[in-house]
Amino acid sequence: MFFRLLMESFRRQRRRKMLAGVAILLGTTAVTAMLALATTIGDRIHKELAVYGANIVVYPKADLLDVKVGGVDVKPASGGVYLKESDLEKLKTIFWANNITGVSPELPLQLTATRQEDGRLFPARTVGYWFDHDFGTLKTGAQALHPWWRLQGTWPLVHSRDVVVGATLAKQMELKIGDSFRLQGMAGNAGQPISLTANIVGIVTTGDGTDSEILLSLQDAQLFAGANDAVRRVEVSARTKPEDAFARVDPDSLPPKQREIWYCRPYANSIAYQIREAIPGAQAEQVRRVEQSEGNVLKRISGLMWLISAAALLAAGFAVSAAMATAILERRGEIGLMRSLGASKGSIALLFYAEAGLLAVLAGTMGYLLGSGLAAWLGARIFAGDGGAAEAVLIPVLLPVVVALALVVAIAGSTPSIRAALRMEPSAILRADA
Amino acid sequence: MAKLSLFGMLRRSLVHRRARSVSALVAMTVSAGVATALLTLYADLDAKLHKEFRSFGANVVITAPAFARLSGDALAKVRETAGADALAAEFAYAVATTDTDTPVVVAGTDFAAVRRLDSWWQVDAWPESAAEDVALLGQRAAQFVGNEHAVALTYAGHSVTLRGVGRIKTGGDEDSRIYMPLAAFTTWTGVGPSVIELQVPGGAASVETTMARLRKALPEMQVQPVRQLVEGESKIVDRTHALMYGAVLLIALTVAVSVLATLSASVLERRRDFALMKALGGSQMQLMGMFLLEALVLALAGVAAGFVVGSAAAWAISEGNFHTATLPHLSVLPLVLLLNVAIAAMAALFPARVLRGLQPAALLKGE
Repeated sequence: MFFRLLMESFRRQRRRKMLAGVAILLGTTAVTAMLALATTIGDRIHKELAVYGANIVVYPKADLLDVKVGGVDVKPASGGVYLKESDLEKLKTIFWANNITGVSPELPLQLTATRQEDGRLFPARTVGYWFDHDFGTLKTGAQALHPWWRLQGTWPLVHSRDVVVGATLAKQMELKIGDSFRLQGMAGNAGQPISLTANIVGIVTTGDGTDSEILLSLQDAQLFAGANDAVRRVEVSARTKPEDAFARVDPDSLPPKQREIWYCRPYANSIAYQIREAIPGAQAEQVRRVEQSEGNVLKRISGLMWLISAAALLAAGFAVSAAMATAILERRGEIGLMRSLGASKGSIALLFYAEAGLLAVLAGTMGYLLGSGLAAWLGARIFAGDGGAAEAVLIPVLLPVVVALALVVAIAGSTPSIRAALRMEPSAILRADA
Repeated sequence: MAKLSLFGMLRRSLVHRRARSVSALVAMTVSAGVATALLTLYADLDAKLHKEFRSFGANVVITAPAFARLSGDALAKVRETAGADALAAEFAYAVATTDTDTPVVVAGTDFAAVRRLDSWWQVDAWPESAAEDVALLGQRAAQFVGNEHAVALTYAGHSVTLRGVGRIKTGGDEDSRIYMPLAAFTTWTGVGPSVIELQVPGGAASVETTMARLRKALPEMQVQPVRQLVEGESKIVDRTHALMYGAVLLIALTVAVSVLATLSASVLERRRDFALMKALGGSQMQLMGMFLLEALVLALAGVAAGFVVGSAAAWAISEGNFHTATLPHLSVLPLVLLLNVAIAAMAALFPARVLRGLQPAALLKGE
């Protein structure tokens, strides 16, 4: 009998159920969409902020001081200390290895170049990089860590003797794609002269010192340096947690338990600490300009999203409880009739709560699906064009949360009207209510 | 019995069924409040975000051409051209030798200006601004200095001894430099400033126009943007803006439905009043006017209360999230008013239409 009443109520009073259903549907859609966006906004903004480049740099601990003014390094080229390229593999073994999104080693050299046509000599600041290097599952290198670089042409391949020339240098020396010149250098400290013919395959504009440099593959640069495995500096881009007071403490001064907590949080500081541990002789530092400011911006934007989600929750809760109250108010006559036919207050309340609950579960699930779709659509539209931004935003954890919220709000919203209706005399209701 | 005027009826209708009036008023207040809060935040969003991006430091670099110096009034000219909101600091560089015979880049600058411009620098103690013989040591440079409290530097045969007051940690080039006050630097080395770092507030467009003005004012200088900063900022501000826009629309829709539901309920509940008035000779127009007026009064009261509540909420949110206050924007008021009045009018007219077809007699009899 109870189930029949429940089913018939849904079958026969479609219009009345509609308002409450639409309210729940809209409310859960808004809440799901906002929550789904708020939980993924961190990753999305981090991807956007990748524009700023690396947030951790690694260099040899025993390195000489950089003597760098206006992007020009006047540090003596020889005698420097190197990191080992093969040691970079160890980055994959650190605790937060999965948070590393980009690695770009560099090997700067001071070479001389001779133009093929007229034999004109010019000093060439040359830097060896990875270009589209396979690093585990990652495809990374200089262009991934410097997304603001604009390239005309193609990046050089490994061992290809191809080079890319900075735009300022290209203009100065009247170089264009397809030209070639001779690069000369001394291999290592031994002073064995090395020279090779380099083909220009691209011209890059960067807006900084790199505009007057020559870029080639790391392997070719190592040939000139006379050191097979050498890199001077490594830029690392990692997904990090914004720094807080705890992140700034020195981990070695902490008791073991605290230290473990510090170690297992993805702060830039703890990732740098793990890199120092993994690579012998390396010093790793967070790039404060990027890391600190990124943290700030990330915190503000995700904070804003959470607050708006709270506003959405409030609005949705209000909408659902108001709609439920209306739906019950309209049916006081039914309550009076049922009571005069001998139904107990408890069974009537149960019937109405069951209706509210069923409605909440049905409309809530639909709202969850709709909201997830909306979040995916909004996310894809807003964060389009970065590659991989259009991943699905179906977060299963949200389903029970959203449906439970809908249930609570629907039941809480209908309680005052059910109680008010049950308190009235059935005869009074039946007489008064049209 | 005295004849009831329209306003008398309205007053009594609002006062006598207080619970219903209050619930409708609460609904209108919530809708106006949410709309005000979101619109106020939305109006301020770009300014707030651009302000956050100021922590990235300089986004324009002005350099003298090679082997030349900036003219003495260059900084004043830059400040004047870029406007009062822009932050600028000038730098002079020289390669000196430390007491351990290591070459090191020494930079002369104005500490007060740098402190504001480069807020990401981690400095354990900034020197007092009046002191002349102070220095900040980059954390790597410090390892190549024999005595940090009496830093002896030599440049082209001239030596100087500075008091190291603190260390800088940035993870960038600054780590391998030594910073000192510009005036003392110039007296020591004879080298004047060659670089001005400038931070222009706002997105790519405002940076572009400022750069164009700077190029005109200082034709001999190189004016270059820090490209990744300018591009990244505009991109992120635009995306957050779009996200917020979507959120505002979504929430506005939800709130509108909820208010519609509450208000229609309060009107539907009064079917008997409606029937009675009709039986006593009220025309359809009069009755609709009556409901509409009541709804409008509630809407106006709701907007007044909601504007206050919403502005307070926006203030609290931006104080909590951005640490700066958002003052109430009167400009959002017309939009909020329009929204609320539209909702109220729909909520009053929709049930009135439903009830129109009903016979007063049938309604009163209870069919």
